[in-house]
Amino acid sequence: MQAEFNRDIESLKDIFSFIQSFMDKEKLDQDLESPLNLVIEELFTNMLKYNPGNKKKIEIDLKKEDDRISIILTEFDVEPFDIRTVAEYNARQELKKRPEGKVGLHLVKKYVDDIDYEYNNRISKIRLIKNLRTLHA
Amino acid sequence: MLDIKIDQKGGVMLSGRFDASQVNKAKPVFDDIKESKTIDLTALDYISSAGLGILLTTQKRLKDSGHQLILKNMNKHIREVFKYAGFDRVFQIE
Repeated sequence: MQAEFNRDIESLKDIFSFIQSFMDKEKLDQDLESPLNLVIEELFTNMLKYNPGNKKKIEIDLKKEDDRISIILTEFDVEPFDIRTVAEYNARQELKKRPEGKVGLHLVKKYVDDIDYEYNNRISKIRLIKNLRTLHA
Repeated sequence: MLDIKIDQKGGVMLSGRFDASQVNKAKPVFDDIKESKTIDLTALDYISSAGLGILLTTQKRLKDSGHQLILKNMNKHIREVFKYAGFDRVFQIE
């Protein structure tokens, strides 16, 4: 399933509905809802944060491929941003030293099993893989 | 949609979804907390880093004055998010 969403924080409710429709169509375990919502929200809001002037819609593509879910977010007319290169978040850090941000992409990395990134002609494409076998691991 | 209720004893109850679209609603409520509070998450279904950020900012401010947020009744999904973020190390969770 594929859909495009306006670059607006208010698009989140439509994104969550889109994810639920995908889950219903594929008859997926409801325990996937929270992880899917979270990884897509974190990437979507990150895109809004770092490209505030961009008016081009963000495309989200969800597919079930055997025992895994493929999640692709595509952004148009942007500079490259590969989340795999972001510095590790220290989840063991004491309260005072914790940054008040940065945890979102850390959570994305914790919830998915693989991340790929492509950048061509100012089109940025992040592909995440969630293995259904590791859902309850 | 996030709903925030404060009872007569000052206890705070969150319900619904604490996502990035709810930050503007939640921030003034948490900014008003000046002493230790227990936050009941029984009816909170979902939290993202946006919600975690508000809780973290509040916890830092309260700890500086000898107070803290205590979080109770998390569902398994929210408990997992806290664990992955390492927030179970900086909040008292009941």
